Amino acid sequence: MGVGRVSFGIVVFPGTNCDRDCYYVIRDILNQPVRFIWHKDNDLKGIDCIVLPGGFSYGDYLRAGAIARFSPIMSNVREFAEKGGLVIGICNGFQILTEAGLLPGALGRNKTLRFICRYVNLIIERNDTPFTSEFKNGEIVRMPIAHNEGNYYIDELSKVKNLVVLRYYGENPNGALDNIAGIINERGNVFGLMPHPERCSEKVLGSEDGLRIFKSIVRSL
Amino acid sequence: MEKVKLLYEGKAKRVYSTIEEDKFIIEFKDTATAFDGLKKAEISGKGEANCIISSKIFELLTIKGIKNHYIKRLSERDMLVRSVKIFPIEVIIRNKVAGSMAKRLGLDVGKELERPVLEFCYKSDELHDPMINEDHILALGLATENELNTIKEMSLETNRILIEFFKRCHLDLVDMKFEFGKDSQGDIYLADEISPDTCRLWELGTTTSWDKDRFRKDLGGVEEAYKEVKERVINIPIESKARILIRLKPSILDAQGSVILNALKSLGFSEVIEVRAGKLLELKVDRKIDEPERIEKMCKELLANPVMEDYEWEWVE
Repeated sequence: MGVGRVSFGIVVFPGTNCDRDCYYVIRDILNQPVRFIWHKDNDLKGIDCIVLPGGFSYGDYLRAGAIARFSPIMSNVREFAEKGGLVIGICNGFQILTEAGLLPGALGRNKTLRFICRYVNLIIERNDTPFTSEFKNGEIVRMPIAHNEGNYYIDELSKVKNLVVLRYYGENPNGALDNIAGIINERGNVFGLMPHPERCSEKVLGSEDGLRIFKSIVRSL
Repeated sequence: MEKVKLLYEGKAKRVYSTIEEDKFIIEFKDTATAFDGLKKAEISGKGEANCIISSKIFELLTIKGIKNHYIKRLSERDMLVRSVKIFPIEVIIRNKVAGSMAKRLGLDVGKELERPVLEFCYKSDELHDPMINEDHILALGLATENELNTIKEMSLETNRILIEFFKRCHLDLVDMKFEFGKDSQGDIYLADEISPDTCRLWELGTTTSWDKDRFRKDLGGVEEAYKEVKERVINIPIESKARILIRLKPSILDAQGSVILNALKSLGFSEVIEVRAGKLLELKVDRKIDEPERIEKMCKELLANPVMEDYEWEWVE
């Protein structure tokens, strides 16, 4: 990468399980500085982008993300986001961001009632965000999903009309309203998505589309 | 809720109207009187103590199913209550011999009674609240037979509950005074206050007073006694169970409900039209006074996700 160095912080909750994949992609593939942040810590010094990775924080008890949002680190994450820092929530991280009210809407159970783990096609709806600048608008990409609660819901779709960044393309796997797979906040610095970009960041894994999300972040900063 | 107009001022309380016709505010005063007003004094902190003690006891009684006029405590001295018309009867219930009973019948103070004794007095300051019996009440039309029976049952049940409660406060409930009222529907409510002004409370297993007798008999430590009872009462947890039902909003497809519906139909239960699945949470709670909104808050902050879920809850027991 011919760009400056971007420091990533990966938040680890009890039950998080995609933290190391993200760490690997950022450090070993992107060659960017990265460190884990335990959910009880509050030191975000020097961090440019916070990653809330996937997993099953607190066993997904009560609702996915419902308990993690009260972890001590989340007040720092909120502050960080309010100051304009970049925050990306992947899968469970997306669920935590909606529970915390940092992103609108909620993620309910898949309409199939099954855990879904497979590749899906997605359409890029907005490439004018710090997370998607490496894509073209309308581009179809492939990324894996792996979740039980990805059924995006909001009472009024108009509230997120301009915030949809990613949609499921072709087939809607989980019943998400308006095929929503990823949304950004109004300010454009907090992004949540159900697909796992860290799982498709190397050719050997079948797709490198995920890497382009991390590259977009690096490029934007 | 604001006080609108002073309706009545008694020895220990003031009653105000509010903007809502069916609600009054009772303000607890520090003034204490005894012997029909012959003895009078200000006891600092008494109003507050009595308001807090009464509130907690009314909360407990509500949980236990005793209808009472208490709605909520508004401040340290002010209590919001249902406006009821008070029967002109004082009900006294005794578990041990003390006060006028000891004098009238020449009995030893502290003697245990085989069963609780109910006495009635006619509320009249000029007549000095003379004792009356059930026939008087019915013959004078102070209450109907049904009303009187309800009052008696409620008195005995309240007594049972409070004997146990005060035991947990390490206090013997020797006797107490009740007033009852009825609302516009004719429903009967326990009213007034329940405090060291209306109860004789002795340190458990002794005859040491923790009530107004300290003032009546100049035993000293009057202010401390009210505070002590208040502290003991506050510190007793009142366990209660809140049952919370959380469901997806009706506008959201309930996949789980649909699967269950299909299963029922395939078993031949063709009459089932719709199934909505939900979550049931039961919370054992120490019910502190003034905080019925807490469960509401719990639901909003954590238990339900307001974007996609509705909740309802109730106290159960």
